[in-house]
Amino acid sequence: MTESKKDKKGPASEAPKNDRRRKFLLAAAGGIGVAWAGAAAYPVYRYLAPQPVPDPFGEEGKAPVDKITPADVANPGMGKNGGYAARGIIVLRKQDGELKAFDSKCTHAGCNVQFQGNVIHCNCHGGEYNLDGVNISGPPPKPLTELRVFEENGVLYVSPLEPEQKG
Amino acid sequence: MDMNQTKIPAEAEAALPAADTRMGRFYRALLKRYPIWPVISFFMGKKVPEHKHSAWYMLGGIALFFFIIQIITGILLMVYYKPGQPWASVNRIVMEVPFGALIRSMHHWSANLMILTLFLHMFSTLFMKAYRAPREGTWISGFILLTLVMLFGFSGYLLPWDDLAFFAVRIGVSEMEKLPVLGPFAADLARGGPDVSMETIGRFYALHVVILPLVVLLMIALHLLFVQIQGVSEPDAFAALPDEKKKYRNFFSDFMIGEIPVWLFMFGLLIALSATLPRELAAEANPMGAAPEGIKPEWYLLAPYQALKLFPGKLELVGMAIMGLAPLVVIALPFIDKEIPTGKRGELITKMAIGGLIGFLGMTIWGLLS
Repeated sequence: MTESKKDKKGPASEAPKNDRRRKFLLAAAGGIGVAWAGAAAYPVYRYLAPQPVPDPFGEEGKAPVDKITPADVANPGMGKNGGYAARGIIVLRKQDGELKAFDSKCTHAGCNVQFQGNVIHCNCHGGEYNLDGVNISGPPPKPLTELRVFEENGVLYVSPLEPEQKG
Repeated sequence: MDMNQTKIPAEAEAALPAADTRMGRFYRALLKRYPIWPVISFFMGKKVPEHKHSAWYMLGGIALFFFIIQIITGILLMVYYKPGQPWASVNRIVMEVPFGALIRSMHHWSANLMILTLFLHMFSTLFMKAYRAPREGTWISGFILLTLVMLFGFSGYLLPWDDLAFFAVRIGVSEMEKLPVLGPFAADLARGGPDVSMETIGRFYALHVVILPLVVLLMIALHLLFVQIQGVSEPDAFAALPDEKKKYRNFFSDFMIGEIPVWLFMFGLLIALSATLPRELAAEANPMGAAPEGIKPEWYLLAPYQALKLFPGKLELVGMAIMGLAPLVVIALPFIDKEIPTGKRGELITKMAIGGLIGFLGMTIWGLLS
């Protein structure tokens, strides 16, 4: 506070003005603090945020099935746990000869379910699905994610199920 | 600083060894430079009430003992553990490094015993009603510590990267993902991607060996500071006694020396458990394979595990809401139950706590047998 201002208005009128100035400066300092913290936190968040994952089905729209050969599911009733693009999968052949594939991640808590002949079972919380991937008992809230499966040159491939093919 | 102006208090002069002995000269020189006599005098005056429930006062110290064991064995495990080759490096610790299996088993068993001790510590302070004013801060910091220790367990569980670790963490994070609003965001950040993978190891490793130890040490310091300033709580029956009938023991060193045999017993128990029931290392995590048969969580998670099975489909969020409400009630306890000495409301809270404890034990046993 300069001498000249003090002379003009006197100390009595200065208290509320100082108070307003103090509040303004505190708010400004707080605002700068928040902006600074935000500017510092953003790169840290971007550093920690997951990198975008490449499409598991690639440019060709299909992924080879790992650890399951066409021979493993040649006859009705056969099925096996395997993988595709580092995820779990079950490929099975139903009694009517239809070949089916499901992402093996349980819709309940995310364990990988197991093909057990006439049922698909989850060892974590006892959920069960039928061979159409429909949840039939235990805690799972919805069916397994179905995939389209086909054979090419002796190798099984999966691709996303088109919406009209579902069900 | 003018050394002649720093006077040693008369009380200190009386308590210190004679001025012409070597130790006497040392202590006097120390106190002239650092006038900390009030602090020493405060700790020397710290007293623990003596009554038939006094033994429960030892639980906090026992938990601290297990935490110290965790730090030592944890540092030893870090020497060989490689976050880039998690399973192989743990397998090497267990199979090749001399006493590696013992150190790892001690880390596992000490963690379990620490959590058990903390549960007992919490329930003993709950039933002694030690959470009431003015000790709300001790209660809440203690509850935060219990939560942090559970997080410690969860983050450490993933690090061996075996089948058990993989699916346990996948379940834990996928439950977190179901939480409204921030759930999916927090789950992605925790996993470092859409699924638990090697990316997750680095995150959990940093959490387990740097962030959590720092935060927990800070919270322990705060928790102990509160206890030091306020002294331990006295049960109503003891507080109601006439002054001449109240008996106390000095914390330094009567109570502390009394705790040494208990610590030694706990150390013996820990070694016995680690030697006879070593922690197994399951097959390396295989994100494509099915979850192994008979997979079960640690005993302290059996109750929520059983609850997970009981609330199917959309009811699950209801179950999570009930389980999420319990910690809030625990934190609010000092503000719900304030009566000193305990009245009707206090007794009702005690009954509810007994009910909660029986429910937790029941669910745990059910989860174990199912």
